[in-house]
Amino acid sequence: MTSQTIIDPPEDGHFRNGIAANGSTPSPTTLSLHLTINGETHALDIEPRVTLLDALRERLHLTGTKKGCDQGQCGACTVHVDGERVLACLTLAAQVEGRSITTIEGLADEDGTLHAVQAAFLEQDAFQCGYCTPGQIMSAVACIREGHAGSDEEIREYMAGNLCRCGAYPNIVAAVRQAAQELRS
Amino acid sequence: MTVHDIKHAASDSARLEAVGGRLSRVDGPAKITGAAHYAVEQQLEGLTHAVLVGATIAAGKVTAIDTRAAETAPGVLAVLTPDTIMELRGASDWFGKAPAQPTFSPLVREVTFSGQHVAAVVAETFEQAVAAAALVKVWYDETPAIVDLSDGKAGDGIPIEAMTKEWGDAEAAFAEAPVRICAAYNTPREFQAAMEPHGLIARWEGDELTIWEPSQWLDGMARTYAEWFSIPFENVRLVSPYIGGGFGSKALALAHSAVAAAAAKMLDRPVKLVLNRPQNFTSYGGRAATRQTVAIGADRDGKIQSIVHRGVNETAVDGMWVEPLGSVTSIMYATPNFSSKQNVVRVNTVVPGAKRAPGENPSAFGIECAIDELAYELNIDPMEMRLINYAEQDPHAKKAWSTRQLREAFAAGAEAFGWARRSPQPRSMRDGHQLVGWGVAAGTYPVRRAHGEAVVKLLSDGSVVVESSSIDMGQGTYTILAQTAAETLGVPVENVTVKLGDSHFARAGVTGGSRLAGVMTGAVHKAAGQALDELIGLALSDPRSPFQKLQSNTLVVRDGRIASPRGEGPELLIAELMSAVGRDHIEAKGDTLPASTTPEERYKNYTTIAMSIPHTEGDYSRHSWCAHFVEVRVDEDFGTVRVSRVVSALDSGRLYNPKLAESQWKGGIIMGIGQALLEEGIVDRRHGRIVNGNFADYMLPTNADIPDIQTISVGIPDPHSSALGGKGVGELAIVGIAPAIANAVFHAKGKRVRDLPITLEKLI
Repeated sequence: MTSQTIIDPPEDGHFRNGIAANGSTPSPTTLSLHLTINGETHALDIEPRVTLLDALRERLHLTGTKKGCDQGQCGACTVHVDGERVLACLTLAAQVEGRSITTIEGLADEDGTLHAVQAAFLEQDAFQCGYCTPGQIMSAVACIREGHAGSDEEIREYMAGNLCRCGAYPNIVAAVRQAAQELRS
Repeated sequence: MTVHDIKHAASDSARLEAVGGRLSRVDGPAKITGAAHYAVEQQLEGLTHAVLVGATIAAGKVTAIDTRAAETAPGVLAVLTPDTIMELRGASDWFGKAPAQPTFSPLVREVTFSGQHVAAVVAETFEQAVAAAALVKVWYDETPAIVDLSDGKAGDGIPIEAMTKEWGDAEAAFAEAPVRICAAYNTPREFQAAMEPHGLIARWEGDELTIWEPSQWLDGMARTYAEWFSIPFENVRLVSPYIGGGFGSKALALAHSAVAAAAAKMLDRPVKLVLNRPQNFTSYGGRAATRQTVAIGADRDGKIQSIVHRGVNETAVDGMWVEPLGSVTSIMYATPNFSSKQNVVRVNTVVPGAKRAPGENPSAFGIECAIDELAYELNIDPMEMRLINYAEQDPHAKKAWSTRQLREAFAAGAEAFGWARRSPQPRSMRDGHQLVGWGVAAGTYPVRRAHGEAVVKLLSDGSVVVESSSIDMGQGTYTILAQTAAETLGVPVENVTVKLGDSHFARAGVTGGSRLAGVMTGAVHKAAGQALDELIGLALSDPRSPFQKLQSNTLVVRDGRIASPRGEGPELLIAELMSAVGRDHIEAKGDTLPASTTPEERYKNYTTIAMSIPHTEGDYSRHSWCAHFVEVRVDEDFGTVRVSRVVSALDSGRLYNPKLAESQWKGGIIMGIGQALLEEGIVDRRHGRIVNGNFADYMLPTNADIPDIQTISVGIPDPHSSALGGKGVGELAIVGIAPAIANAVFHAKGKRVRDLPITLEKLI
């Protein structure tokens, strides 16, 4: 693979948005990838610098995964890779070939039955504008699976990586608590 | 345009669905499954991507731009500069006032703030546009900038005469008062920081422009685009089905919006432009930094004799923003003497804008801290101090309150919080190393009113469609309008579909100032009432109707079934009646404007804010009210502050959906916690640049920062404020939170911090 042109540091040692500071543009290399998303395999021809987030949103039109900051600071792009929560904006699409990716679109059952966390979010009104919500829900599913939903205190701590500007936090805690109880029983 | 089918458990009662019921969000299923497509998520054929290049100086001139490397980069379609972007016509402001300049360039040669757009790159893919934008080289002739209010060059600013409020002889009465306090209160530059970035997709088809853009005001923004491009208003269609948070920031078409629309026209291809997160801190204004001094003179019983208030807010070099700092100061407490004046100071910033409760929020920080200081000065309980000075009428407008449940709010909040157990002395409550403090403050927000319109359609299958160009950014518009239509028409709420967020629907004014719910429930109530009248009229008079022989004066509709009030005669589903009389639909457009309103006035009503109705119109002064009770824990050694408990009692009048209203109240309280303890735009003093323009450095409250919050509704229906009795919900709860926390911190630590945010270095 010719991805060396991207990884080698430029002469002055500084990258500018992935471009060498001397102004040279690396020749774009197209990768042919197969990504397994929500149980389906998708073929993609993309540049190596495409993030998983932009692959989902711009190429595969799976826009449920949101871009809030594109800097790994807000959690809106949280998806699952092999069952673990991952920030799609800090993950290159090329890194997750051969792994199992789950997005918000793949969380409910095929017959439309909501996941317990989704149902709890609706019942507890754990969102307003809805923009951070897919990331919150993906994080919450993983949080419960990790065993980090044992108390409100623990839920607050382990959900702290997902920002919500509408301020739905108390309702998010209530929803995660409720879903964790349902999933345990 | 978005359609919501309402699904909820069969056990939900009719009560849940009616206005005032706790119906879950009808747009909820779309939002929790990823099916809700926000504005810039539309998939268009041939879509291109634009990325902006921002100025790296805060003042000066662009002397040269080298675009050669960018132009030859892979995938690049165009590099736009002030020299190459098409010229636009200047657009009028949100009052409808004509522009100062006849032309407008959204890319500038004269730079007045750091980050201002100087160039843009359009490419086939987002990655190509980002990479090429980094290759644009810009040279500047930099001149000294005024970086913020504390800059030595800033001066005293410009007096804003319209902000002056005076009665009695405030200065003399203050000088003679037996007890006096006087202090300065500062709030920093703050940002709305909605989770969804600003951005848009622009597409031209001939001289028709479609814009998909998160918007708090479709019709106002459509007017701006129409004026920029000299095309008829009707040729612009704005689509904004969901908005990922606005908080005041998404009501105007901005410079970056113009860049995208111009690029789409120049390239004849649809263009998507989304601001990256740092650009969201420089491309539109957050809350202006403010400075206030509040002087209160009182007698020894705590009765206020005089309030003297002076305020300053920052504005831009080339734009005006007034943050009305005397708005709460002038109405919260009874005083025989009062004076408030305000200046604005020009600094090198993007024009500040509206952030949740503009004016009322910083105003309350000043007066609600100051009255607390007076309470400690006199050794009077801070809540008692507020009741001693309770304003029985609007002290400024000299009019009766429409409703003011503030006494009730203090009583209910104090009871739930356990305020009576408070130990009065600062530093007298502790839990190990934590000093515990309790604070109280009041808040208020005026009832902003306007006229609205809506279309209600009854279809042949008995279903109902509501259409409006108003929007839902999380307040619950879809839900409460479905409840309003269902209740008015007498149909099950799951039969109602609400369509919002398309400027081709019935027009709506700005969604801001907590006015939308009152305006739109009124309009939908009226339109649905007209549709119902027509339905019943048909049922009674059409020869094909089985009710025609009944000789009844009226009919009732319940659960989607039409019958006589006493139950004699037939009972038909709406669909059966429509079929019997051969109608495929009934459509009614209802508006709350006077019948004599001209088309020009209607256009002005929906596309400017010039026709807003004053909250003191007629005999009453209309406001929402609240009382906040807060517990903080301050680490004695480190000065770290944690909010450990909040109880707020709020009077928003009648609540159309308490479940959703409580969520908005809590959201306001949480944004207020951020304001009090975390949020501050930090400006680099050399280059006038916001250095913490991202979510790691401009700290928002996280889940781990927020305790249990209890909200209590103490409102009663207010017939003077809206058709259905509600006042405002969204802005109210943030007002008064920061002073309640500052007052609690003083009670905990014995140190008064008058400068937000209350960070640990100010306490140790």
